[in-house]
Amino acid sequence: MNWNMLIFLYLAFAMTFSSFLAIISRNPVHAVLWVLVMILHQAFLLYTLGSEFLTAVQIIVYAGAVLVLFLFVVYMINLRKEERWKVFVRRSSYGFIIFLFFLYFFFKNLAFLTALGPAFKAQLPYDLSQGSNLLWMARYLYSHYLFQFEVIGCILLVVIFGAVFLLRKLKEVG
Amino acid sequence: MVPFEYYVTLSLILFVIGLAGVLFRRNIIILLASLEIIMNALIVLFAAISFHAKDISGYLIVFFLIGMAAAEAGVGLSLAVLLYKKLKKVYVDEINFYRG
Repeated sequence: MNWNMLIFLYLAFAMTFSSFLAIISRNPVHAVLWVLVMILHQAFLLYTLGSEFLTAVQIIVYAGAVLVLFLFVVYMINLRKEERWKVFVRRSSYGFIIFLFFLYFFFKNLAFLTALGPAFKAQLPYDLSQGSNLLWMARYLYSHYLFQFEVIGCILLVVIFGAVFLLRKLKEVG
Repeated sequence: MVPFEYYVTLSLILFVIGLAGVLFRRNIIILLASLEIIMNALIVLFAAISFHAKDISGYLIVFFLIGMAAAEAGVGLSLAVLLYKKLKKVYVDEINFYRG
């Protein structure tokens, strides 16, 4: 067992454990902080997968922007702790059936997805001896993926407009 | 070098955990956080495919996914705040606004 394997196993265990704690914790602040722990581990997993730029983007965008937004909303709407946990679990049998269906479906397709990896033919190959990962990403982002890049920019602009429009001061009617 | 199957298994486990959070939790904030966990499962899968196939598309799709996740969190949280301002409720089984 080499170091890569050990680091991967630690990261996988930490991500699974912290996301599990995030969905079972009753206090929403604890849940958001466990998601933050998971995201930091995932940033390091992206580093071991060979992309430093995505590590930085993950930390800046997820841990810096999205989770701070979550914490702001949690503090703003002043949640109480959840009391009726057992009642909802008993009533959510439809959700449990859907969950079992998805579980069956995804473990059935595990073999398909693992067979997909070696058979995948590189359409846009990169060569790390010719430049860093960031250089290759920039090269393809501004040539092959330019339209998608612009679409993401438009989506973020529309999200800004949508948030401002939704949270404007509501006019009292009647 | 870690085999590709391990990454796929990790991604599936994270997806299933996020799906359980979406289906079983009542708090709308934790529901949106579970959607973020599902997005992170996709990020692990695409980055692993890109690393093992020596193809750049997976990394770029991860880049777009992070932007999409930010957009989704912005819209979802503003809708949650709007629901709280109108109904003073954040639990999804108590919100029966359109049921009459």
